[in-house]
Amino acid sequence: MTPTMTRTILSVRSVSKSFGEVQALKDVSIDLHRGDVVGLVGGNGAGKTTLLRLLCGLYKPSEGAVVHIDSSGNEHPVSEVRSNLGVVPESTGLYARLTAWENIRYHSRLNGIPDKQAWNRAYRISRELDIEDDLQRPTRGFSRGMRQKTALIRALSHDPELLLLDEPTGGLDVTSARKVRALVRKLGEEGRTVIYSTHKLNEAEEVCDRIIIIHNGTLRADGTPSDLMGKTDAPTLEEAFVILTQDASREVETPEPASKFQQFWARLTTRGRNPPSDSHESGLESNGGSSDGVGGDTDA
Amino acid sequence: MREGLGRVWTVASKELIDFVRDWRTLVALVLVPLLIFPLFFIALPIFMQGEMSELDQYSLDLEIQIAEGDLLPEPISDAFNESRLNQTVTTLDPNLANLSDTGADAVRLQNGETHVILRLSSSETNSTESWNYAILYDATQELSSEARARVFHVIEAWEDDIINATLAESNLTREEALDPIHWDGDFGDANVATSAQTAGFALSMFIPMIVAIWTASSAIQPSVDLTAGERERGTMEALLSTPARRVELLYGKWLAVATVAAGSVLFQMLGLLIAVSFLLPADTFGVPQLSFGAIASLLLSVILFAIFVVAIELALAVRAHSVKEAGTVLGPVVLAFIVPAMFAQFVNLEGIEWWWFVAPVFNVCLAMREALLDITDLTHIALWLGSSLFYAIVAVTWAARQFQREDLVESIS
Repeated sequence: MTPTMTRTILSVRSVSKSFGEVQALKDVSIDLHRGDVVGLVGGNGAGKTTLLRLLCGLYKPSEGAVVHIDSSGNEHPVSEVRSNLGVVPESTGLYARLTAWENIRYHSRLNGIPDKQAWNRAYRISRELDIEDDLQRPTRGFSRGMRQKTALIRALSHDPELLLLDEPTGGLDVTSARKVRALVRKLGEEGRTVIYSTHKLNEAEEVCDRIIIIHNGTLRADGTPSDLMGKTDAPTLEEAFVILTQDASREVETPEPASKFQQFWARLTTRGRNPPSDSHESGLESNGGSSDGVGGDTDA
Repeated sequence: MREGLGRVWTVASKELIDFVRDWRTLVALVLVPLLIFPLFFIALPIFMQGEMSELDQYSLDLEIQIAEGDLLPEPISDAFNESRLNQTVTTLDPNLANLSDTGADAVRLQNGETHVILRLSSSETNSTESWNYAILYDATQELSSEARARVFHVIEAWEDDIINATLAESNLTREEALDPIHWDGDFGDANVATSAQTAGFALSMFIPMIVAIWTASSAIQPSVDLTAGERERGTMEALLSTPARRVELLYGKWLAVATVAAGSVLFQMLGLLIAVSFLLPADTFGVPQLSFGAIASLLLSVILFAIFVVAIELALAVRAHSVKEAGTVLGPVVLAFIVPAMFAQFVNLEGIEWWWFVAPVFNVCLAMREALLDITDLTHIALWLGSSLFYAIVAVTWAARQFQREDLVESIS
């Protein structure tokens, strides 16, 4: 890579995030470089979604900072440079009564992009994803895969520098998932930085040149797939993941701070009932060698 | 600034498109308010007439209890037959304290053995004929009430005949004896208020309440849909990830909801005016004639009230994680707007204390009443305008603060 390609564009510095008494992320530090395609891997409740939300400024860190670094080296709070971000949340976030194009146009207008420019770009990407004939259809009848594709086009319509994708192939069929992965690789080659949150280790290995493993809110590993396997003496990435995340998964959702009354009421209404048994599943999918298939559970 | 306004408009126009595409929203917020009064004015008389004629078809049982030695007057017996009352004549219990003492007959009426009981006993007076009577019935049974009404009607006619006969014996007409001081001319002609003013007065008694109730209730569904609904459907996270500031998103949503709520109220007012102008008999109600100032005052009070109400409802709905939760919170909150609006109808405008015009909800309701009566009191206008603006700014500021909440991206779904 050329020096410009390795420029740091986003820096996560000793970030911790707490929700009341629950610490969702603990002292996480990551530097994201231009052109990086980074796989964010972790089980349910690991803290992936919390980290993604911190990266796009939806959450403020309890400690530490997330800063965007421009080409001149100036640092900005990430909430001030959202026009450089494209986000595909796990829920896709499409409006059912609007057409695919209207959904895309809505976001591109909020990003200050003229309709014509947004249309040209959206149409070009939609052809790569085989969805160009559906742009004028209301998204109400769309399959999960079509919604994912539309959300991806929407996230790219303003030509962002950094793309945050939360389970982008969840619910996609084999062919569509391959197209999405190919598009992500292409975006990386174009110099865009992509954060690719996924449950699927094989997919992460295939698409990403760097893997970040998050477990129980802590950063367990950050490196290329071969680095991680070498560090753990594991023959596969899946084995490496298991070794790096040996302690039980906490499986928590991002909670809201509970008031004293809420705590009292919760105690009152759950008295005498058996608590749910702790799950020790990692919540991770290896997909048995295939990186395609239906997406995993909702992450916190 | 211009960029910010552009984003506010982008959000508002998208939300309005979303509303317009949902036929249920159109029915609830356009068709229903527009048609509710015309339908009410057309349907209610037809319905009432239908129900009344339905009861007229019934033949009902009448038991006449008459004192021993008295004879049932023939004219009323015939009249009862004409009124489809099946008569049974029995002897009155002489031990009753008075004729209204129901005694054992109460149970018989409640058991439906007969629909109504008429008790009659003649009395001695200077009149040509004098009777004591009581009609026993069960007010909780429709047929019993109907039978009582028929009996009462017959008794009244019979009484009129007796009065006329008594007066005739003294060479007097009914008018001379019972109406010695009479009105000359037409009642309506003596009122100096024009029909338009009278209409304004009558409308001022209920338009403010309708505006308050409809603004508060019509804003609920869009407020919930645009906040808790977005959270529940997962669209909020993507929206908040755009460069638009949260306050811009809130203002856009607020503008859309306020437009829908205000539009809905205006459709309802239009429906009311159509009903008043075309569906009521001309002598029942006029169309109010308002000055330009009064119309401006009326519109301003509606707009400021809508700003205030919509901001409060949005702020409360934003705090909810789901549509269900938001609905549970907002349902009772509407009462906080409706109750003061109802009380504001009964506040005397003559010599009214100034503080009524700064009390929330009361101020706009009273402002509307004064506008409909074409009253221009600059102190009152300054007070309600200032206080309404203050409340609107406080409500919008509070809503904006709620929209900064970090947990806005989370949903329970």
